[in-house]
Amino acid sequence: MSGMKAWLRPATAWADLGLAAKGLVVVALPLAILLGGIGALHLSSRAEAEAERAVRLTFAIQRDIHEVHALLAEAASGVRGYRLTGRDAFLEPYLKAEALLPLTLARLRTSVRDPEIRTRLARVDGLVIQKRQGLAQLAAMPGAGGEDSVAARDVAAALVANKTVLDALRAEIEAMQRREAELLDARRARADAERSRTLALTGAMAVIGLLASLAAVQLLFSGIVRRVRTLERDAERLERGEPLTTRDHAQDEIGRLARRLVEAGDLLRRREAELREGEERYRRVIEGVRDYGIFALDTDGHVASWNEGAERIKGWNAGEVIGRHFSIFYPVESRGETPSRLLAAASVDGRIEDEGWRVRMDGSRFWANVVITALRDETGELRGFSKVTRDITDRKRAEEALKAARNEAERASLAKSEFLSRMSHELRTPLTAILGFNQLLDMDRDLLGPDHTHAVAQIGRAGGHLLGMIDEVLDIARIEAGGHSMNPEKVAVDELAREAIALTAPQAQAAGIEIRLEASSVEAWADRRATLQVLLNLLSNAVKYNRRDGRIIVALRPEASCIIVDVRDQGPGIAADMIHRLFTPFDRLDADRWSGAQGSGLGLALSLGLARAMNGDVRYRTAKGGSGSVFSLVLPTVPLAAATEPVTGDAE
Amino acid sequence: MRIVPDDATVKAARILAVDDEAANLSLVEKAFAREGFDGVVTFLDPQAALSDFAQNPPDLVLLDLMMPGIDGYELLDSFRRLTPADAYLPIMVLTADTNVRARLRALALGARDVLLKPYDVGELLMRSWVLLETRQAFQRRP
Repeated sequence: MSGMKAWLRPATAWADLGLAAKGLVVVALPLAILLGGIGALHLSSRAEAEAERAVRLTFAIQRDIHEVHALLAEAASGVRGYRLTGRDAFLEPYLKAEALLPLTLARLRTSVRDPEIRTRLARVDGLVIQKRQGLAQLAAMPGAGGEDSVAARDVAAALVANKTVLDALRAEIEAMQRREAELLDARRARADAERSRTLALTGAMAVIGLLASLAAVQLLFSGIVRRVRTLERDAERLERGEPLTTRDHAQDEIGRLARRLVEAGDLLRRREAELREGEERYRRVIEGVRDYGIFALDTDGHVASWNEGAERIKGWNAGEVIGRHFSIFYPVESRGETPSRLLAAASVDGRIEDEGWRVRMDGSRFWANVVITALRDETGELRGFSKVTRDITDRKRAEEALKAARNEAERASLAKSEFLSRMSHELRTPLTAILGFNQLLDMDRDLLGPDHTHAVAQIGRAGGHLLGMIDEVLDIARIEAGGHSMNPEKVAVDELAREAIALTAPQAQAAGIEIRLEASSVEAWADRRATLQVLLNLLSNAVKYNRRDGRIIVALRPEASCIIVDVRDQGPGIAADMIHRLFTPFDRLDADRWSGAQGSGLGLALSLGLARAMNGDVRYRTAKGGSGSVFSLVLPTVPLAAATEPVTGDAE
Repeated sequence: MRIVPDDATVKAARILAVDDEAANLSLVEKAFAREGFDGVVTFLDPQAALSDFAQNPPDLVLLDLMMPGIDGYELLDSFRRLTPADAYLPIMVLTADTNVRARLRALALGARDVLLKPYDVGELLMRSWVLLETRQAFQRRP
């Protein structure tokens, strides 16, 4: 693994390089190699030129050496000619050599580099000076052009000496020339070598440059082009929704792009999967719903989809119904108009709800609740409709039954109310004559005897009692019929208690009974009249069934959500085995026998009915200490929704 | 012992009583006669009462509401129609109907007073006297 990594490292480094850097490398690589080649060529051609210059110098030195030799030879020959002839014309070469030799020798000294030749040149310099001196001596000797023995001997000696010098010179010059020829050969060879080296270098440069270009192209291809093509293929796969995998781990832009593409592909597939899953779920939910018929219509109203609920409710299966117009679900009489009206309304308002009779495949009818919703695409174009249908035949029937029952009850209540009204009328009408004539008799009681006067009083009392009973019976009947209208409001219970006490006061005083009120200011949610009626009844009872010269205590106790009015007497109380009969209409608990007090036996029943009609109550308990009764009126302090509803019926 | 004040003009008033119960009409007759009223006419038949009303307009009408054959309210309405707009012809409804709505309806249709049966005879006489006195005051206005 690590070995592979080591092998991969340069490649990885290259791949990781950014695109800009890669471009730089691809362009710079051949360019650098080209520049190096040009530099090398330049150096090589400089060496070649140097070698050629050396060759040319050698030629110049050889020429100068030859010139020295020629000048000396001509000078010697001229001097000899002069000696022989005495003519000055022969001295001309000598004079020319005297002028030119120092110049030529000076040139040689500056141009010669080779040490051997320099040594020889130094020797040649010396010899040339000797030779010039020798020649000058010869030229200056007398007797030129005549035979003179002494002179002839000296000349011969000088000539011999000159010849010796000349020979030595010639030998030196020949040696120098030989040496120069050697040098020339060597330098020529070197120049040739330099030339061929330059040629080889140029060839090598060309090859290297070509290879570098190829390498750059290869780098470009592997580093960019190939990967961009891979990217292109990946993009195409992405388009087709095929999964992507990338081996491009490079850190450059292309590598990142490739990985992004893979991530995008993954994301896309995930989203697609989620979408498919969601759609599948929706489809299953809709198809699985059994209680609702859910189906789609096209823009013209033809069925496009069908669920299990629709099949269950309507009877058709999907195969039988898809493609058919939804008007087949409507009864014949509404088939023409209703479906198109509903679709039009749904497309205008977005949705329409409707209830009505629909038909099943077998022709049977059911009462349906239908919601049609227009389906629009994102541009707002109508695509069709969704229709949700519920079979609410059972509910419809129940509603109808309930309505019928309610109507029946209302009719019954009305009939009862009517009956009570008639009853009241029928019972009161004869009493009008009875009590009226009785009153007339009473007015003229001074015309009657005492027995008749007594009879008239008895008729009046009994008639009054009968009237009271009729009223109470009718009140109870009204409460039971729900016809006693209550107007609950905030009432000051302490004030009502004071009013009731004031109204009961004459009756109490007659019996020597004191009524005491223990109350602070409290309010209840109750009907004023009914509350007063109950309080009057309780107080009246407390007076009637109290002991002589007893006391009544009225106490108000506010509780959490109610007010309790306790009316406590000091009478004998109620026997435990009779308490359950307290609120039974007409049951006077044998009161006539033990108390002598008169009554209809309806007061407590009526009070209880009134209290309950106000969401209150009337309760009984035996007073502490066992002496006396406590009757409590319980009244609510807050309105109860049902209690505030006005009750229809008779009002008194 | 008389109940109402002694005023000859008031007691000369013509009083028309309608009821389907003979005993009740008899009671009204006796009660008013006892006080010295001598213009009381009674009708068991509402139709006859209506024609009498049209021929001899009374000073006071005592009307029962619940009668067979004709609705007391209709009769009440007919009486009011027969009465000139600028006249004060009081109608007192005597009814055994304890329903407050019945009383309100009667008053809305033009009754000047309502008395619940069985009524106190003295109260009947006093209320009738008050109505008649008001009528007189009305008739005396310039």
